[in-house]
Parts: sequence; C-alpha cells; structure tokens
Amino acid sequence: MSRAITPQAKAINTGLAWSVALLIAFPILWTVLTSFKPEPQAVASPPIFLGFDWTIQNYIDVQDQRAYFRYFVNSVVISIGSTLLGLIIAIPAAWSMAFVPGARTKDLLMWMLSTKMMPAVGVLVPIYLIFIRLGLLDTRIGLTVVLMLINLPIIIWMLYTYFKEIPADILEAARMDGAGLREEILYVLTPMAVPGIASTVLLNIILAWNESFWTINLTTVNAAPLTAFIAGFSSPQGLFYAKLSAASTMAIAPILIMGWFSQKQLVRGLTFGAVK
Amino acid sequence: MTAPATADFRTRLQDWLPKMVLAPSFAVTLLFVYGFIAFTVLLSFTGSKMLPKYDFVGLDNYRRLFALEHWHIAIGNIAVFASLYIVICSAIGLMLAIFLDQKIRGEGFLRPIFLYPMALSFIVTGTAWKWFLDPGIGLEKVMRLWGWESFTFTWIKDNDLAIYCIVIAAVWQTSGFVMAMFLAGLRGIDNEILKAAQIDGASNWQLYRRIVIPMLRPAFLSAFVILSHLAIKSYDLVVALTGGGPGRSTEMPATFMYSYTFTRNQMGIGASSAVIMLMTIAAIMVPYLYAELKEKK
Repeated sequence: MSRAITPQAKAINTGLAWSVALLIAFPILWTVLTSFKPEPQAVASPPIFLGFDWTIQNYIDVQDQRAYFRYFVNSVVISIGSTLLGLIIAIPAAWSMAFVPGARTKDLLMWMLSTKMMPAVGVLVPIYLIFIRLGLLDTRIGLTVVLMLINLPIIIWMLYTYFKEIPADILEAARMDGAGLREEILYVLTPMAVPGIASTVLLNIILAWNESFWTINLTTVNAAPLTAFIAGFSSPQGLFYAKLSAASTMAIAPILIMGWFSQKQLVRGLTFGAVK
Repeated sequence: MTAPATADFRTRLQDWLPKMVLAPSFAVTLLFVYGFIAFTVLLSFTGSKMLPKYDFVGLDNYRRLFALEHWHIAIGNIAVFASLYIVICSAIGLMLAIFLDQKIRGEGFLRPIFLYPMALSFIVTGTAWKWFLDPGIGLEKVMRLWGWESFTFTWIKDNDLAIYCIVIAAVWQTSGFVMAMFLAGLRGIDNEILKAAQIDGASNWQLYRRIVIPMLRPAFLSAFVILSHLAIKSYDLVVALTGGGPGRSTEMPATFMYSYTFTRNQMGIGASSAVIMLMTIAAIMVPYLYAELKEKK
C-alpha cells in the first residue's frame, strides 16, 4: 500500500528504520569487528569501535589451538552433501507432484510440509538408538543423512512451487513436436528448472549450515561442524572473546554472503509458503 | 510383434513413473517422522531408563512427569517465554513493516539487514548475546566505563529475570522475519480501499486500526503459528545463552527432555515429555493447516 507522504514524515521514517537496522545489525557487526582485534583490545575499556590494530592473528590462533579448520570442512561437507542427497530424492518427487498431479497431491504436500514443524526431540531417541546400533554417531555420513531427512520436506516443497511456475504449454508444445518423456525432461524442463533448483540449494545449505540441534546431539569431535564447535568453545568462561568472535565470524560469513542473495527464498522457505 | 509390446510398456511406464519417483519421499517422511514419533510414543508407555525396554507401564511416566517440579518449571518458563515472544515479535514486526512500507530510502538495503538475524544460527547469536548481557564484560561494564557508575544489568545471572534475556535474544532474532511476513501482507492490500477511506476523512490511526490491521488477519495467523512452533522447539538459543540456568530458571521442555533422556537416564519420562510437546504443536498446527487447505481448494 502507498499513500501520499510528506517529505518530513518520510525523513523521520527513514531515520527510524535505519536506527532499527543499526540496532539489529549491531551484535553481528560487533562480532565481526572483534574478530579482527588483538585480544587485549577486544575487552578494552572504553570499547574501541574501529581504531584498533587490525589483525588476523585470532583466526591463526584458533586454528593452531583448536584445529578449527576441520570443523569448517565438516560444515561444508555436511551442508552441501545433505543438500545434494536431498535433491536426488526431491527433484523426481517435486516433478511428479507439479506436472502429474493426482487428486491428493496438495494434501500430500501439506502433510509432508507439516512434518517440518514437529519438534526434533520427538524423533531424537529413535535416531540416537539407530545411530548407536549402526555406529553412525559422530560420523559425517550419519549427520548428512539426518540433515537431509529433516530438510527434505522443505526441498520438495520449494522445488514444487518453482516447478509449478513452468508453463504447461511449453511441455504441450514439446510433446506435439514428438518429444518423449526423456527429451521433455532433458531439453525442456531441466533448463527451465535450473534457477528454481539453485534457489532451493541456497536455502537448504543455509538451513543445514545453521542446524545445531542435531549437530550438537549427534557429534562430538570427528564430524562436528562449526555450530557444535562454537557451542563447545563458548562454554569454558575464558577470556578469549576475540578468538570466539573469529570462530563465530567464520560460522556466519558464508550465511551473510548467501543470505544477501537469497532473501526472497529465505522468507519463502522459512514461512512454509505463508509469504510468497 | 515387439513394437506394440514396447509401446505398451512405455505408456505404462509413463503412467507409473510419477508415482514411483514420489514413493521414496513419501516412504522417508512416513518412516522418519511418523514411524519415529510412534516409537517415541511407545517408549513413553514403557519403563525405559538408559536403554529402551519394552515393559508396558501404562500412564506411569506421564503421572511421574506431571509430579516433577522440574517439569512444572519448564512449562511455566515456556508459557512466559512463548507469550512474550509471540506478542513482542508480532508488535515489532508489524511496526517495522509499517515503517518499511512508507517508501523510505534504501529499503532494498535495509530489508536483508532486518532478515539477517533469522538466517544465522541460534548457537552463534546466542553466544553473542550471552557475551553482551554478561555483567562482567557486556552492556553493564560498558555503561559503567562510559561514566554511568550505578548502571546495573544482571538479568542473565538472576533466577527470576534470566528468562527475559532469552526473550530479548529471540525477539531480536525473529522480529525482522515477522516484518517480512507483514510487509508482504501490507503490499497485498488494495490501494483503492485506502484512498476511499482517506477521502472519507479517516485519520492515519483509524486507517490502520480499522482497515489495515483487520486486513492483515491472515498474516497474523501465519505469524502466530510460525512463532509458536519456534517457541516450543526453542532449544539451541537456550543452550547457547543460559544452558537452562541459572539453576533451572530457564529450563524449557526441549532442554528438559534432553536432560532426562540422556543425562538422567529416564528415557521413559523424557519420551513422555516429547509426546506432550508434539501434542501441543499438533493442536496449534492441525487447525491452521486444515484452514489453509480448505482455502486453497
């Protein structure tokens, strides 16, 4: 909605909105800045905003002391792995629901999506027991599979909404020209579906990257990603704020970058389609 | 002879393929969510301790669960947390949406900033907030250094007030996201209606109070459902920010379930608490989804 707004009102609104944005961004900004401070300046009083001695020593120290890079690699492997695994299962399912819908497709979709709202504690015990039985605790493969499973409904649903936007006429035209199912998928659908798949991948990597319930509960050292690392790092009440900030910055940097490009998908995915 | 047979096979394949490719997703959801939930429900009726046992004890676990003071604390905390969180988030989200809707400068730049907290892991933001709220190094110390000697902010160390620290951090995390939901709702309102109301002499306040807010009803409903399920699921933020403490003052059902199942080896009681949480979420979600479905058909 938009109405006539006086210039003064507009200036006030803009000012207010920017102040709120600053307030919201402040903790993130502060964490990132602190990560580049030498440890004494990180807790200096009064706090130093920008005029400190910029250094990347914290990043080096965290790596030296905690072999932090391994956690980063785990995060990358697990989030990308679970996304790709999810796509393999979800693309055919979404394709089927979008292009060959049955009478109950909508119900099925809603039913799948509703499972994403269930609290994870409801399925924690069985998964934990299975993990013990199969020796999957603290393995990347186990965590990859679990994260794929919990995000599968979102992947299917996102892909479905994107596939739905592909006009059916094009398929009709391809069929008229004698394209079989294989040609249809290969030459018509795939090129049109790529942007939707890319958005889904982006959102799902963010979700998997941030996941902490499962990563904390199912890993200890070997397969632990950054979220588990930070949860462990923050518990000893040491005075290593610059180092903790460095670890946190590494954990949020990819999200800050990806988030900028995928705000729409983020809202769409996180609201379960309540907002388009 | 072979040609019609292959053609027939092909047609049948094309008929069956959509169902076949849907089957894995269906099976996985059915087993992983409903199968495992069924197992949790089953466990909640057994005397499982450290490992699952299959001796049926009826409603014993539920009786014991509701006799535990610890559980009552967790329920009380979630009630305080969830109601404050939902109300404050919706209010701030709505206000932010109204601001952003006034054609302000740099909206495209501000929107992602409002959304950022939601995109970050609760563990990371919880850690940042823990630091900020800690009297020894955070807000209190900074204020004192800047000359406000009597400034005290020790909520996070206070049994009665620590829960509000979780509300603050959670509101910070989700308000921008709620804003996005309301903004979409606001943008969907027909301008003509508003113009007509203005011509009729409605003040700005009346405009929002009588027309805009009632028209945002669907957005309020979605916000409520999403916020309430986030509140009941809240685990990582609590773990990162207070770890359930000081004492048990910020214990939540999710942290309760975890500690009873894994540290206290009371798997049966842990499972029964999980079942109660599941039922609460289902009670909120099922009517909503049902309404959504009816609308879309």
